[in-house]
Amino acid sequence: MSTPAPDSWESLLGAAVVGTGRRAVPEGVLARLAEVDADSPEATVLAAAAVLGAYRRAGWTPPPWHGTPDPPAEPDPRPLCSATAAQLLELLLDRGIQVDGGNELLVAHWSRACARAGTRPPAPLVLALLRLATTASGLREDVRTVTGPRGAWLARRNPRWSWAAPVDLGDPAEVDDRFATGTWAERLAVLAAVRRADPAAGRRLVERTWADEQAAARAGLVDALATGLSEADEPFLESALDDRAATVRAAAAALLDRLPGSRRAARMAERVRDLTPPEELDAAARRDGVTDQREHGQGRSVSWLIQMLGAAPLGEVPADLAAARPELVLGWTRAALRQRNERWLAALAEVRPTPELLGALPPERATAVVAREPTVDARFAGLLAACPGPWSPEFSREIVGRLRTARTEGTLTLAFQALARHLHHTALPQVEEWLEATPVDRRARRRTLRGLANALTIRRTIEQEFPS
Amino acid sequence: MGARWTVDRVLGLAPDAGSARAARGLARPGTWSALGSNESLVWGRCQGSAREPYQVTVDLNEPAFRCTCPSRKFPCKHGLALLLMWAAGDGTVADLDTTADFAAAWAHEREARATRDTRPPDPEARARRVAERESLMSAGLDEFERWLFDLVRQGLAAVRSQPAEFWETAAARLVDAQVPGLAERVRAMGSAVHARTDWAAHLLESLGRWYLAVRAWRRRAALDPATTGDLRAVLGWPRRSEEVLAGERVRDRWWVLGLRQDEDERLLSQRTWLYGEESGETVVLLDFAAAGGALRVPHVLGSVLDGELAHYPGSPPRRVLLAGEPTTGAGAGLPVTDTVLRALDLAATWQAGNPWLERIPMALGAVTVVPREGGPVLVDRDGTALRLAADVDVWPLLGLSGGHPVDLFGEWVDGRFHPCSLATDGALVSV
Repeated sequence: MSTPAPDSWESLLGAAVVGTGRRAVPEGVLARLAEVDADSPEATVLAAAAVLGAYRRAGWTPPPWHGTPDPPAEPDPRPLCSATAAQLLELLLDRGIQVDGGNELLVAHWSRACARAGTRPPAPLVLALLRLATTASGLREDVRTVTGPRGAWLARRNPRWSWAAPVDLGDPAEVDDRFATGTWAERLAVLAAVRRADPAAGRRLVERTWADEQAAARAGLVDALATGLSEADEPFLESALDDRAATVRAAAAALLDRLPGSRRAARMAERVRDLTPPEELDAAARRDGVTDQREHGQGRSVSWLIQMLGAAPLGEVPADLAAARPELVLGWTRAALRQRNERWLAALAEVRPTPELLGALPPERATAVVAREPTVDARFAGLLAACPGPWSPEFSREIVGRLRTARTEGTLTLAFQALARHLHHTALPQVEEWLEATPVDRRARRRTLRGLANALTIRRTIEQEFPS
Repeated sequence: MGARWTVDRVLGLAPDAGSARAARGLARPGTWSALGSNESLVWGRCQGSAREPYQVTVDLNEPAFRCTCPSRKFPCKHGLALLLMWAAGDGTVADLDTTADFAAAWAHEREARATRDTRPPDPEARARRVAERESLMSAGLDEFERWLFDLVRQGLAAVRSQPAEFWETAAARLVDAQVPGLAERVRAMGSAVHARTDWAAHLLESLGRWYLAVRAWRRRAALDPATTGDLRAVLGWPRRSEEVLAGERVRDRWWVLGLRQDEDERLLSQRTWLYGEESGETVVLLDFAAAGGALRVPHVLGSVLDGELAHYPGSPPRRVLLAGEPTTGAGAGLPVTDTVLRALDLAATWQAGNPWLERIPMALGAVTVVPREGGPVLVDRDGTALRLAADVDVWPLLGLSGGHPVDLFGEWVDGRFHPCSLATDGALVSV
């Protein structure tokens, strides 16, 4: 066989599209190619199509490619997690196992344990983690950490995963440019990344464009300074109290509430020195963000006092805290929560525990408060649900035992999410025993307990696979 | 297998008019599952009033019937209905390589009994059935040739405006003529002429291949066994597995390179690509099951099967059958890889040997997956690029490779690469 003329296929195709009924077959289309008996124009076209078609298919060469591939992902120095751990994550991600309250909770647990152990998930699951955390935004922080350089590389290539795309802080010009010209979401992402690495640089970024920003943007940028907030931000925030827009002033006041060393906090301290409600509100107090908004069930001047206490530095915890006036406790509680003052938070929780206070305490302190609660009821469940984790093995076993004695039906259900998340896995035998002892006709209870046992089993596997 | 029976011949077996009527009513795919047939058996499950579906099998040789229903009529309405659907030849009861377990078990029992009866198989009857089928196929392919001529006379542009029935009718005639392989290709063309931008060239190339099959069929007596095998595959005349197992066998350590499953409304199919360590040959295992049925449990991707395979007659890359149970070991990634140009050279050689070849296995070494506007490509170390098929999700490839060069196994079909597996951390992962 020899080479066909270069345009033979095209001329054959031209004839075939029109049809042999209307156009003659190109002459010699089969010449020098094949010995075929073709006694009609149709047979000639079909035989030529067979020969030239095979020739085209077999002789095809790829057109030259002139692109340049992007630089590949940075290598991930962390060793691969265990095969069992990888399998477990795969089952959680593709819903091969399903846990009440959602698999996300356990995926988060897995991701944290994996990152803590200094290992990485296998590459095929990085993609699934990114996809899951795109819809379940609560997972993003953990997923960003555990997926490492591979996740970051992928996220830079897909706008849907931009939340996981790291900002290259090594190039200040690019950072400035992206912050000045990006979309609002991108600007916030850049600012947050810079604040995490270098808070002062982040603040300078805001100051640079400040004069040209719209009021809504200014308020949003002040809010964004919550990441990496410190006393160093105080001068900027103090000046923002004079902003034209009320929303910006309020945002600045809210951040200053968290800085007990600020000039504003000192002014508030002056205002509440003798713990009496002020008779009127002067212009300076209004500038500091005190408003006429009434506190629930309180008069005007008491409401002012509560606001001022909430923004003032906290002193020593008074010995007679339990006997203090309710409005004072309310104001101090607010200040303690804002300033994350553990001593005050613990003291206030001793006097009157609330979910809010427990949620702000470290796990041991919060669980200690719950352990002292005398009755197991809905209020108890609410406090338990607010306790941060992890819970100690002792507390976990004790709490399962107490829940089992509860007379109110809903207690277990109310606390379920917290139990599944924080209960120590050594409480598993107790949960299983409880499940076995629960009569078959109590379907709802059995389902809840089974869900809890499943979650604990998976958590136990995670602990075993990522020894800390 | 011989020609399918006529409806009258089936109904002639009914014990009474009531059974015939009931059988006609039952001969609808809805209540049936796991339908299939081969040279001598037709089988299916029919959901009746019992909880478990009845298992129905017919041995065409006598014919003999077997049904798990409690009816005292013989043959029962289920057996007759099954034969009616088979006789219709519309693809509802398709010829399969794998016989349903219950049908195979029954046939085996019967065979054992027959051997005890020392009645030798009737070679004359078989030769007669083959001759019947061949004459049916010849007539059908003659008609198909006239259809092709007609199409070329009208011109491809005119053909494109034909309705879907134009292709369906031609395909149905091919099914009637026991040429289901060509029928499938003709049916697929009905949508391809509308879906593809290069429809005219694609159609002309396909017409050429179909015509080649018609011409080859007429010369079948002069063809070598491999080409005959290729021809039978494209026409859709399956071989009995016993026949294949009795032929050439090769023992080797077979690396499982890639798995692919396809599904259409009638059939599930599974391709397992294997590479022989000693022979250096890439071969494919094909499994089929009727829609709703279950495929054989796939071999583990990346494992190595130590055992004997029987080759179907045909050109490389050849189709094979497992002869016995292999022992399974662990492999490590892809055993050999090629550059893009080397893989295309190999593809050209294979295509020259088998002009009907559509799916070409390729193991590409150190290719980079590059996402780009207009479709992602694979680029090898020489800077030669192949396009990925349009329906490939590129993100798993990027997630696994991270933009680094990786070894990739896939199928090259019609100028596009369809990835099956990727080597990462020394293991093969399905993509």
